[in-house]
Amino acid sequence: MEYRIEHGPAFAWLRVTLGPGEVVRAEAGAMVMRSPAVEMETRLNAGYRPGIFRLFVAFIVALLRKVLGGETMFVNDFRGAAAGGEVVLAPALSGGIVQKKLGPGRSLFVQRGSYLANTGSIDTRLRFGGLRTLFGGEGLVLLECSGEGDLFVNSYGGVVEVEVDGSFTVDTGHIVAFDGTLDFNVGSVGGLKSFFLSGEGLVCRFTGRGTVYMQSRNLSGLVGWISPLLPG
Amino acid sequence: MHFEVSYRPSHALGVAHLDAGESVRAEAGAMVSMTRNFTVDTSMSSRRAGGLLKSLKRGFLGGESFFTNLYTANGGPGHITFAPRLCGDMMVHELTPDRSLVVQGSSYVAAPDSVVLDTRWQGFKGFFSGESLFFLTASGHGPVLIDAFGAIEAIELDGELIVDTGHLVAFTEGIDYRIDKAARGWIASYLSGEGLVLRVSGRGLLYVQSRNPSEYGKTVGRRLPAREG
Repeated sequence: MEYRIEHGPAFAWLRVTLGPGEVVRAEAGAMVMRSPAVEMETRLNAGYRPGIFRLFVAFIVALLRKVLGGETMFVNDFRGAAAGGEVVLAPALSGGIVQKKLGPGRSLFVQRGSYLANTGSIDTRLRFGGLRTLFGGEGLVLLECSGEGDLFVNSYGGVVEVEVDGSFTVDTGHIVAFDGTLDFNVGSVGGLKSFFLSGEGLVCRFTGRGTVYMQSRNLSGLVGWISPLLPG
Repeated sequence: MHFEVSYRPSHALGVAHLDAGESVRAEAGAMVSMTRNFTVDTSMSSRRAGGLLKSLKRGFLGGESFFTNLYTANGGPGHITFAPRLCGDMMVHELTPDRSLVVQGSSYVAAPDSVVLDTRWQGFKGFFSGESLFFLTASGHGPVLIDAFGAIEAIELDGELIVDTGHLVAFTEGIDYRIDKAARGWIASYLSGEGLVLRVSGRGLLYVQSRNPSEYGKTVGRRLPAREG
């Protein structure tokens, strides 16, 4: 299995070359093109290899993910056929793609909408960044990714990697992903007054040691700019 | 006349340089600026268009209205700049009489009069994905200015490829296409998020863009307040 991230940093896409039987799993709707030899199978987005009895629970989880996670309920598994093949994947917004290798002890929390694809046996679990995150549409809904394989995340805008050692605060809309080794706490930037007036919404305070991946653009910002321009 | 593209690859701007008396036919709404000596004539898609009613019908049913403006330089040379609605790259495809070019409706920007445009409404609206296909065939000779949402990848096709419809920009004569559902069943195709795909086969040049306008629209649109009525 080989991969190449092309057309970065503004409109990156991921090109994966698959050997026979090799699989890359991707967010629904991410496919740009594929060789006819590559088979596509649609699965419920509820983790890696759910057992038969888990499927019902998986359906509920996937539905929850769709409503709160903003991610679609389904993922597509692309499998190389006997002759191998290629599949190209792209996210919806402009920006870049980053690859992270996960292994034992290395987990990554990925923001909703930033998950693009993965190879290997990576498990994804839905996590919330605190109940308060559901207010104001800022939401920090996360996918905890662990296992072994390559994980591909996309950013809205450019990706900035920050090595945290101590503490670091990031606007929630600008978070792409962060190491599982970090502690995080979501809150407003100041007190109640600043929550309403600062225009900053929610922030995430990281403590400990690990890497935080930020994006240089914020979808909430774009939405906030477009909304008043809509008719009606 | 000739085209020049600046500010590639993410926020490209197309410039047409014309000699006196030359014309360029551009998609309505694409013009950014022009020198003062141009006359503008708005018309339906091509000289062979079916008239106003047909164009309007295309506009309502196909989801794409295709009106063009013909800019003619009078009494001296002039230049016009063009920009697409979405961010991305622009390029020029040199059209030759032996090989016509099929362009996705929203990707066509401008071309001189020596390029004849024929609108061919696909007649198939993507029920699930809301994607409607609208193709133009450009034949004749001359440069054709094309835009894309994102980066443009030119592929020398020799064989078969499955392409998501929203990512298609253009392809040359010699390539056949067939619209297909993404997965084996209709429900699976909807759930896969891919909706409709194009199976392209043959030999020729295929242009693909690295972003899909309807996916972008859905991602942003999902967060916008609901429309009234």
